[in-house]
Amino acid sequence: MSIVPKETIEVIAQSIGINNLSEDAALSLAPDVEYRMREVMQEAIKCMRHSKRTILTSDDVDAALNLRNVEPIYGFASGGPLQFKRAIGHRDLFYIDDKDVDFKDVIEAPLPKAPLDTSVVCHWLAIEGVQPAIPENAPLEVIAPPSDGKNSEQKDKLPVDIKLPVKHVLSRELQLYFDKITELTLRRSDSALFKEALVSLATDSGLHPLVPYFTCFIADEVACGLNDYKLLFALMRVVWSLLQNPHIHIEPYLHQLMPSVVTCLVAKRLGNRFADNHWELRDFTASLVASICKRFGHIYGSLQTRLTKTLLNALLDPKRSLTQHYGAIQGLAALGPNVVRLLVLPNLEPYLRVLEPEILEKQRNEMKRYEAWRVYGALLRAAGQCIYDRLKIFPPLPSPPAHAVWRDNRKIVTCSILCEI
Amino acid sequence: MDEEQVVKFVETYLKKKGFKQAELAFHDEVQHNSNANSVDIHSDPDLSLLLLSLSQSEDTPARYHEEYRKLRSWTHSSLDLYKPELLRVLYPVFVHCYMDLVAKGHIQEARTFFNSFREDHETVHSRDLQKLEGVLSPSHLEEMEFAHTLRQSKVNLKICQYSNELMMQYLRNTKSTMMLGIVNEHINFQVSPGQPSSISDDAEVVTLIGNSQDAANQINKKEIHWGLLEDSLEERLEKAGGLLSDSEKTEGDAKEGDLDETKVNILKRSVEGGKQGASVKKLKKDKAASATAKVVRPETNTSSIAPRVKSELPLPVIPTEVEQSILEDLRNRVQLSSAALPSVSFYTFINTHNGLNCSSISQDGSLVAGGFSDSSLKVWDMAKLGQQSGNSVLQGENDTAPSEHVLGPNGVKRSYTLFQGHLGPVYSATFSPLGDFILSSSADTTIRLWSTKLNANIVCYKGHNYPVWDVQFSPLGHYFASASHDRTARIWSMDRIHPLRIMAGHLSDVDCVQWHANCNYIATGSSDKTVRLWDVQSGECVRIFIGHRSMILSLAMSPDGRYMASADEDGTIMMWDLSSGRCVSPLMGHNSCVWTLAFSCEGSLLASGSADCTVKIWDVTTSTKVTRTEEIKTGSANRLRSLKTLPTKSTPVYSLRFSRRNLLFAAGVLSKCK
Repeated sequence: MSIVPKETIEVIAQSIGINNLSEDAALSLAPDVEYRMREVMQEAIKCMRHSKRTILTSDDVDAALNLRNVEPIYGFASGGPLQFKRAIGHRDLFYIDDKDVDFKDVIEAPLPKAPLDTSVVCHWLAIEGVQPAIPENAPLEVIAPPSDGKNSEQKDKLPVDIKLPVKHVLSRELQLYFDKITELTLRRSDSALFKEALVSLATDSGLHPLVPYFTCFIADEVACGLNDYKLLFALMRVVWSLLQNPHIHIEPYLHQLMPSVVTCLVAKRLGNRFADNHWELRDFTASLVASICKRFGHIYGSLQTRLTKTLLNALLDPKRSLTQHYGAIQGLAALGPNVVRLLVLPNLEPYLRVLEPEILEKQRNEMKRYEAWRVYGALLRAAGQCIYDRLKIFPPLPSPPAHAVWRDNRKIVTCSILCEI
Repeated sequence: MDEEQVVKFVETYLKKKGFKQAELAFHDEVQHNSNANSVDIHSDPDLSLLLLSLSQSEDTPARYHEEYRKLRSWTHSSLDLYKPELLRVLYPVFVHCYMDLVAKGHIQEARTFFNSFREDHETVHSRDLQKLEGVLSPSHLEEMEFAHTLRQSKVNLKICQYSNELMMQYLRNTKSTMMLGIVNEHINFQVSPGQPSSISDDAEVVTLIGNSQDAANQINKKEIHWGLLEDSLEERLEKAGGLLSDSEKTEGDAKEGDLDETKVNILKRSVEGGKQGASVKKLKKDKAASATAKVVRPETNTSSIAPRVKSELPLPVIPTEVEQSILEDLRNRVQLSSAALPSVSFYTFINTHNGLNCSSISQDGSLVAGGFSDSSLKVWDMAKLGQQSGNSVLQGENDTAPSEHVLGPNGVKRSYTLFQGHLGPVYSATFSPLGDFILSSSADTTIRLWSTKLNANIVCYKGHNYPVWDVQFSPLGHYFASASHDRTARIWSMDRIHPLRIMAGHLSDVDCVQWHANCNYIATGSSDKTVRLWDVQSGECVRIFIGHRSMILSLAMSPDGRYMASADEDGTIMMWDLSSGRCVSPLMGHNSCVWTLAFSCEGSLLASGSADCTVKIWDVTTSTKVTRTEEIKTGSANRLRSLKTLPTKSTPVYSLRFSRRNLLFAAGVLSKCK
């Protein structure tokens, strides 16, 4: 009848030295114990509220007991907020994790640092109603569409001024910042300042409002600057930095970014075909693509499949140029050995047949032959990586000159695959 | 039914109840003039049935359960139009059934009864249910204030005629005598002809208040003079166009009971329709005037509309140079409205180690005080707290309180002044309007007055018997009010160590206190879920505001003296019209405790700070205006418009304060775990 069972009362009685508590007494004590407990909790909650907290601590219970002129319960100090854990198998049973501490560890441990003294810091939460994007403020949410304001007002027939649709207001500082970054990216991407800018992009917390502008900027510039190797590389670096920034939610803009990034991986021509080292750009972009897939692959299930499909199409289309093939292979390889095993290895045979005439002396065009060799090298690396990965599953064999053998093994393995083909 | 039977029933009933005297008297009566008095018993079959059931009933607990269950299912299957009204009856019946069962000692049955039906009322009454759940013996009923007052009083329920008839008919036809008994004993139906009232108008139904609604209504009819003080600085600023008049006027005028009719607008609330309609119309006119005035010259709307009253207290004199600086501030005030939102400067306490209980910001924002659970009070001078923050924020407002940095015990420079003296957690602190004094209240039942100029404790006020939850300086200084766990609020003056007035009447802790703008009233919020308004001069309760569903945490008075805002544990903010005692509009938006409220200086905006780590800005002007027009038409509950939500970085907001120039200061503690 009470939530306190009479057995509990008996146990408590025994603990204070009353052994022969009659059952009737226990039964009539139980409801009263429950009532007193509730009373103490009620007072404790008041104390908690007046300490402006939302988590009840043992101090509050002590204060409540104090209010009732009851001696507080000693030995239950609570320093920080308590970490409650859910008991396994129960939905609403929680307990506080209390670890055993070895005395020796406590004594031998170096003295902890003295706690820092309380202080007050000051910042602008809002300036004329607009929150400045500074690290002290909570990161801004993605801008809400300007929908609800108008409708609800019309419905209520309020005689009030109707709010204009929400415009995305950028502070002056952010505008300057954006202009500076874009200028650096476009013109002075080899300066030390650009490196600083990249670091700033990767770490600053207040940049979230700029993300849509950056995605737009990158998409535009990639679309019209395919001949400018330096620019493309700088843009990819910007993307890389934005991805690194922990304060930015880039997911909503990913669909706008991906086409430009993939372009930089598998485009036919990136910059000057002879003068620029577009291979490097493709390598960099491949790792960029891989990191995007790794981070957001689990949120967007279709992201990786769509990407691999694009890349595989590029690879298997013999009409595409060799540079495109190279990018596709690098991209697939960066996605991991499993992708290579499942998608590249089965297609090796037909592909090598396409590649063969290009690679041999028959090909007059020196440039083309060079490209073909690059593609071949990329293929070797991808396939090798894949096989190496598979080999790692098995325990290493005790072969004395490990290093040399490995090298050989790899070659042998790749060769054997080629032979099979 | 023949007469002998009736006599037998009555006898058995009296015997069962143990009324020996009555039984004997009844016997005599029957024997002497049996023919004379038996007529109406015959004619009323209901009564005889009732008697019959009373003599029969043995298995009471089961009958409570059964009858309540039937009543419940009948109510749920009743006509849609009348269902809301009938459903409202269920809760009081449920509560009283439970308490009856407990009172009769059927503890086990009471528990099962409670648990089987509690879900119906969980949404609205969860807190009351939690309290009642613990009542497990008849003695608890006596001991617990809430239960006791419930048993003592009757609940008022508005119900339309037809619903009432339906209900009574049902109860009679099904011979639910237990239910009938409870309904008769504990519910006072206010039967109104015509259509059933809408559900939304349920503020009174929701709370079963100990003292009956009647008393509250009675109290709320008293006059209050909510106008602003005559000759306030604002008024002087307008009159003189910035020129100073002599400061002597502020003084004096003391204890003049009668008021200038031309200046005072007295609004009475009356329950009768005609009168109310008239007063509402008057209000509407008022408001319209204010609205037009606002369009023309927004800076003068409050003072030109708000009536003037004289102070009932002797008020302190403001030094001329201080007055000048205040006037300067008023001239430079930023006009805020729904289109011009305030700037907010946020003071974040760091490394408090969970020990900060309260914070307070001085009028000009230059001083910030924190009360800690280790009994200390710490005051930061923001002007001296490094150039990076102080200079940019204060905008030259800091011409008071030049306190110095204090060296800590081991010579380390501390950034704050430490005030030690309390013997228990400090629960509240408040700055005097000029920033030269701080009051702090503590769990050690005392209030202490500290000087920020001398950095010392000056007075210790003893009087409360239990922890003092809140203390507030009056808007003009010198007087202050305190609220305590001992269920009283007290008025003090700085120069007396004993309280001047004790306001008693709340049924539970008084949790917060706030002065009216004209210093003649204080408002108190309590754990009994009501807010009361008290006359400072007489110490009488002049208003009771009923409608909150949980403990009141903070209060704020509008600068024009007409409205009051109160906020509770659930995050609901309610705006009250002081003259009518009615809720103007509930403000929903916060989802955790609202620790603090503040009106902007011209009263157009309300800011609220909450444990959900946000500061919200609400539009006062539109919401009150809307309600006025709409109240008459539909009577539906309105919500204030939330203008802006400013999230902080995991920092619950403890206190808010608008400076005289309408800069909003906020303070809170950075809490690490989200």
